[in-house]
Formats: sequence, C-alpha cells, structure tokens
Amino acid sequence: MNHPTPGPARLRVSLFAGMAATAGGRTWDFDWQGGTVGDLRRRLAAACPEIAALLGRSTIAIGDRYAGDGEPIPADAAVAIIPPVSGG
Amino acid sequence: MAMMDDRPRQVVTVSLLTSRLDASAVLAAVADSTAGGNVLFVGTVRDVTDGQPTAALEYEAHEPLSRAVLERLGAEAASRFGLTATAVAHRLGRVEPGEASVMVAASSAHRREAFAAAEWLMERIKHDVPIWKCELRPDGGREWVHDGGPDGGGRS
Repeated sequence: MNHPTPGPARLRVSLFAGMAATAGGRTWDFDWQGGTVGDLRRRLAAACPEIAALLGRSTIAIGDRYAGDGEPIPADAAVAIIPPVSGG
Repeated sequence: MAMMDDRPRQVVTVSLLTSRLDASAVLAAVADSTAGGNVLFVGTVRDVTDGQPTAALEYEAHEPLSRAVLERLGAEAASRFGLTATAVAHRLGRVEPGEASVMVAASSAHRREAFAAAEWLMERIKHDVPIWKCELRPDGGREWVHDGGPDGGGRS
C-alpha cells in the first residue's frame, strides 16, 4: 500500500442547503490539530462570518450521529453542519 | 423496497429517492399477515407557501445521516407503539406541485397504534432528519427553508 506523505492533519466539513449557499461551497477543508465541536464552531465562524448566525442555529454531525459541543473531533472524521431541517 | 427477511416483527424500511414515490410499494413494505391496521400518510407539494407562489420544491439531504436517523426513528416508533413495521420514503431533488415529497406507513395489529405512529413519525421527521427544502419561485428565485422561515443566505 502507498502511504501519503505525512502533512498537517486536515478536516473536511460538509455544508448543506442554505449553509452551502451562503458559504459558496459544499465542502470546506481545515488544518486540524484536534479540538472539540465547539472549537470547530469558532473556527468556522471566524473563517466565514456570513454563516455565523445560521451556524448558531445548526447542529454538528460526526459520521451518522449528532454531536454535542464538548465532543472531540478526530482529523479523519466525516463532519457535517446541519442547519435547521425542513424536510417532509 | 420490500424488505423480506427472517425478522417477522418491527421491519423498518427507509428510502431516499429522486424518482416518484410509489404508495403501493410503501404500503407493501409494512404489509404483514399479523397486521390488521395499515396507515399511509402522503405529504404532497403545494403550489403556494405563505401566500407566495411555489413553482416547485427542491429537496437535499445528508443521505447517510438521514438514513441512520430514519432507521432509528422507525425502530423507536415500532417499539413505542408496538408496531409490526414502519416505512418512510422521502423524495430528493426537484418535486413538482401535486407530487408526493414524503410517505410514511405504519402497520400494527390494530388501527389506533398505526395512526398514532404515523403522526409521531412525521413530527419526528420534520424535526430530526437532515433534509432541507428550497422554494423555487416562478421568477427563478430560490430560498432555502431553515426553521420554518427562510434564512437570508439561501437566496439567489
């Protein structure tokens, strides 16, 4: 197997619906040295103040479950921002 | 969509589809010889929202998370209401007025549990499942709906 050259850990964050429209993209990559969901919220809001209001009303998902602000996020996690839902 | 296997009780079927929803298939997914009450709810797209004309809706989902949440909700409904089976089908992509955007079916030995479960499931779907709708206006405008009201950034 080929192993990629070690580099700074990256975190890929998926955006949906109005959040993706506001941010202008569906995925967002960050250098990630570790941290919690709350830390990620602060990084996202600082990187794109336009999304801060909607982010404040959003939940964060790690993999196939919702995560609280105190939970740590490993660099290989599939993280998604879940703004208020409107299915049905 | 039918999920016939060796689990005779509490079958949970989840479908996220870009094609038209099929009411017969959703009902068939909850059919069982022990179930005497079979309820199907069909949610359809209206051509007006809050007095504004709607050309169509466009649905988007976080699909893996939606499937996981819907499977958990189906299982919770089954145990909470003593159901035989539940099925949820949600449309994704563009849906025209009059077409179904969501179908929920529940089957139980008797009708009351099936009616109650279908309503409970629809309420939970509207709160917990990461699916969003975008209002498409006749003039080409688009508005993502977040928390019952449009949120600024979705306009374009």
